[in-house]
Amino acid sequence: MTGGELPVLEVRDLTVSFGALTAVCGMCFSAERGKITSIIGPNGAGKSTLFNLVSGGIRPSAGTVLFEGADVTGWAPYKLIRAGISRSFQITNLFFELPVYENLRLAAQALESSTKSLLPVRCSARARERVDELIEQFDLGEKVHELAGYLSHGEQRRLEIAVVLACRPRLLLLDEPTQGMSHSDTQEIGKVIRKLSGDLSILLIEHDIDLVMDLSDHVVVMHQGAKLAEGTPPEVKGNPLVQSAYLGLSVHAGN
Amino acid sequence: MDTLNPPLSILQAVRRRDHIAHNAWQVFAFLFIGLALAFTLVAAPSGDTFYFRLATEALIYSGLAMSVDLLLGFTGLLSLGQALFFGLGAYTSALVLKHVGPSFWTAMAVTLLVSTAVGIVGGFIAIRARGVYFALITFGMAQVVSKIVYNTRELGASDGIMGIPVIQANFLLFKVDTAQAPAFFLTVLAMTMGLYFCIAYLLRTPFGRTLGAVRNNECRVPFLGYNPQLYKMLAYVLAADMAAFSGALYPMLRGFVSPELMYFAVSGDAVITVVIGGLGTLIGAIYGSVILTGLKSAIGTYTGHYQIVIGVLFMLSVIAFPKGLMGYLSPLVEKWLAGRRENP
Repeated sequence: MTGGELPVLEVRDLTVSFGALTAVCGMCFSAERGKITSIIGPNGAGKSTLFNLVSGGIRPSAGTVLFEGADVTGWAPYKLIRAGISRSFQITNLFFELPVYENLRLAAQALESSTKSLLPVRCSARARERVDELIEQFDLGEKVHELAGYLSHGEQRRLEIAVVLACRPRLLLLDEPTQGMSHSDTQEIGKVIRKLSGDLSILLIEHDIDLVMDLSDHVVVMHQGAKLAEGTPPEVKGNPLVQSAYLGLSVHAGN
Repeated sequence: MDTLNPPLSILQAVRRRDHIAHNAWQVFAFLFIGLALAFTLVAAPSGDTFYFRLATEALIYSGLAMSVDLLLGFTGLLSLGQALFFGLGAYTSALVLKHVGPSFWTAMAVTLLVSTAVGIVGGFIAIRARGVYFALITFGMAQVVSKIVYNTRELGASDGIMGIPVIQANFLLFKVDTAQAPAFFLTVLAMTMGLYFCIAYLLRTPFGRTLGAVRNNECRVPFLGYNPQLYKMLAYVLAADMAAFSGALYPMLRGFVSPELMYFAVSGDAVITVVIGGLGTLIGAIYGSVILTGLKSAIGTYTGHYQIVIGVLFMLSVIAFPKGLMGYLSPLVEKWLAGRRENP
């Protein structure tokens, strides 16, 4: 039904090499608008590198990244944020010596026009409203004074997602949002992610396979820097290539 | 939506707390102005010039120290060569006053133009590097420029430029003669505090807060939509202008400039000043400068080796008051302000 619609993200033949190592090789996939697309694969498959390529952390050696049809290949991260692509980090990456409130305020500031950047922060009404919304949505009300570094791991992961959402992105890249979390916290984050999709397109890297299969509309499997398979969660689960990759057997494409 | 009300009250509390911390700095700023005016009232009738000139010098160096605090305390960039811009301002102002005309405003305007241009060039070189490399590049640039000045006959070489005329700064309603020590002290006080309030204002804007983000976690800043290199550049040029602005006042006070103004001793003293006064407080730079200039003068009357005493005092103060004078005093004032608000 949405077959004719432009995908929110399209990656074509994306390749990056670091010296002799080709970390990502000829990756192609696309992510549908308002859907959750997950990237899975064993450790070292190139998932995080792929994320860095899409979010502007690394420039690709070859290939194209199209966001809503526009070529954004090799754009700097701060330009991609303004365009509507925001990302979280696998290892919590916050302003640990700043209060929770300021972490959110800094991230929401991107919503304001640059003419406000030399007026007192209290004049940035749009950013302030956004912070108020996020504090309520992520239940951080009691922690606003605390330095981000003093939060528990679960709270930091929640704050990380709130910070990433602050600029109202249209495409969200989540790099292992449940990393190091307890089972109940993982369930909680799963619910949050599900609620976010719909308005928002999400690209997800996740090690918790149950969570991936539960949340995703589309799954892309990476192995040794290349795409091994893709499809709906049941298709991917049933794919023998995927099973052997996860069992650690050597797989030759075309076998 | 029963949770709507409590978060709002919490947010009001956040704003209030911000406000109190800000007010604590303001209390110290106004206290400083009060102390300076009291000093003027007490010292002026005696016809003293030595202490007025010393106090003026402390104020001039406090502008340099504030520029170091803007870089180190608020942006996370340790400059070990900020005297480059202080000396640049002093030399530019001296040359303008001596060769172009004895105009206060021309000297200040030309100084800011030159320091902005040199700041942009220096920034392009320095901000590519991070951490200790940034510190070493700023140190190196200041060494190179000071040696060039030292060896340039047209700039007076090792003697510097002497015989800078006494000028009358025209403030429309009144004129200030730089030879009149108390009047010039008050002028420099007004300019230094004006500079302080401008920078303090800037640090409360999104621009200033973004500098804080760069200091805290530079790698995260691009993913919030800001280019950290641009912000570091702006901070660097702004700090260059602040240092040069203060430096431009130096020849008006002393009547000469010399290559020593660009030496590492001046850059290093500015860093020590900020640490003693309280890193990342801005007002601490002003208090620190008064303390350091006062100590140097007082110890200097007994021994030429005052650096030894200053060094020991610096080590002791870092151990006893790691957050500096303002870092130690401001929580007390914040508590007092918060208490006063709760029980009016």
